[in-house]
Amino acid sequence: MVRFEDVYLRYGRGPDILQRLDFRLEPGSFHFLVGPSGAGKSSLLKLLYLGQRPSQGRISLFGRDVSKLDRDERALLRRRIGVIFQDFRLIAHLSVFENVALPLRISGEPEGRLRAKVEELLAWVGLADCINALPATLSGGQQQRIAIARAVISRPSLIVADEPTGNVDDRIAMRLMHLFVELHRSGTTVVIATHNESLVERIGKPALHLSGGSLYQPGGTPLPEEALDEEGPHSREVNP
Amino acid sequence: MISLRRRPRDLPLSRDASARFLPWLIAFMVYLAAIALASALAAQKIADRWDQDLSGRITIQVPHAALSDAGNPAESADIDALVDYLLEVPAVSGVDVLDRQRSAELVEPWLGDLAGQAELPIPQLITLELREDLSLPEGFEARIEALAPGAQVDDHQRWIGGLLDFAQSIQTVALLVVLLVGAAAVITVIFVTRTGLAIHRQMIELLHLIGARDRYVAAQFQGHAFRLGLGGGLIGLLAAVATLLGLERLVDRQPTALLPDLSLGYMDWALLLFLPLFTALVALLTARFTVLRTLARLT
Repeated sequence: MVRFEDVYLRYGRGPDILQRLDFRLEPGSFHFLVGPSGAGKSSLLKLLYLGQRPSQGRISLFGRDVSKLDRDERALLRRRIGVIFQDFRLIAHLSVFENVALPLRISGEPEGRLRAKVEELLAWVGLADCINALPATLSGGQQQRIAIARAVISRPSLIVADEPTGNVDDRIAMRLMHLFVELHRSGTTVVIATHNESLVERIGKPALHLSGGSLYQPGGTPLPEEALDEEGPHSREVNP
Repeated sequence: MISLRRRPRDLPLSRDASARFLPWLIAFMVYLAAIALASALAAQKIADRWDQDLSGRITIQVPHAALSDAGNPAESADIDALVDYLLEVPAVSGVDVLDRQRSAELVEPWLGDLAGQAELPIPQLITLELREDLSLPEGFEARIEALAPGAQVDDHQRWIGGLLDFAQSIQTVALLVVLLVGAAAVITVIFVTRTGLAIHRQMIELLHLIGARDRYVAAQFQGHAFRLGLGGGLIGLLAAVATLLGLERLVDRQPTALLPDLSLGYMDWALLLFLPLFTALVALLTARFTVLRTLARLT
């Protein structure tokens, strides 16, 4: 599903934001990505959803080396990834319906099929009555759920969420987490970046620990390369 | 149920400042292009008419002094003998001897009422229709001179040549103006499209991350450019049509025949009416090309 091999990332001529990333995510897995602010969580997610190219190393998604994809192929691969941004990134002048329908329109779904699908998704996130509202008229939690609906409407194989509970209270956060768990149960691979470690504990799913741009084992020790090598080419699921 | 309400575009391009000024810029350009194109068409029409009217014809002009009623019988021209000779020339298919009244009508635009006065020394004009397949015999002009001393044979070629060159120059300049206006429109659309790409950069990035291909983004810009181009083009065309009809009426009202007929034919109007659509298509293609080219440069 996802494979990082000796991946580094730097912006421009700056220092390495991410370094020596070697891991593999199996299809249908659920991972949290935890670490302090500035650890590089958002940057790692950008690599995952093809928002950024690595400065070094190789990333494979769905069995394809992403460095060898042309622009059209990257676009098609991105349709298999649902992204939930920390700041939602809903389009302000579009209604909830238009926002959620956007991935389907981009994929060329016939207009006649959009409404039923959008209504189903909005009912799932509990916002069926907001279909004609503009994002600005909704609360942060509601906007986050709209963003989730948009991310999952085209039934992606991989869901990437960046601090999806960062702007909501604990009650809403748990509700959102249950949505992700439901998606995971339906076979979707889920990666959620969060700094809310108590939430991670309550959900009870494995976590990738990121600090200073590197992945760490729990306890603060960087993942030894030789240990990773033992179980395949720089691969390992990291358990909390 | 099918909704008739047009769905909003993903990118709010119609809210950009360019959406307000671009139609007026295009309207101005289409106006200039339409006037220039109409000038080229009118020049072509005038040139064609001159060419059609005068090619295959020659005019013999017998000076007034050589006419029998001019009081100089010793050197008077024998018009009847001249016409008899002309009718015998195989290359001549028709002879038209203009009487004094018709000759006076020809100079009336220049001389006004003076042209009708009997004492005005108006030359005798004889127009010959020529056959295309035969040429005039050798010694034709000498024979004319013998029958009508001082007569001049004018095949109009020098005059037509000069006028056709002039008409051609007008056409060239007009088409150059159309090309320059078109180039200016293309550059404007490129600038506006690039500005739009910069303004909506984050939203375009979002569309890409959701899986949009470059041509999906280009479709947003090209549709926007087409609508602005068509709207601006129609405004410019309306203004140009009003100007041209006004000019046409102004020419029609003139009492003199000095001004050529500037009215446009149905095909000419059809060509002008096509301008807004053509402009909109150019805007569409320019926007599409600009977006695809710009996005392709991104990593």
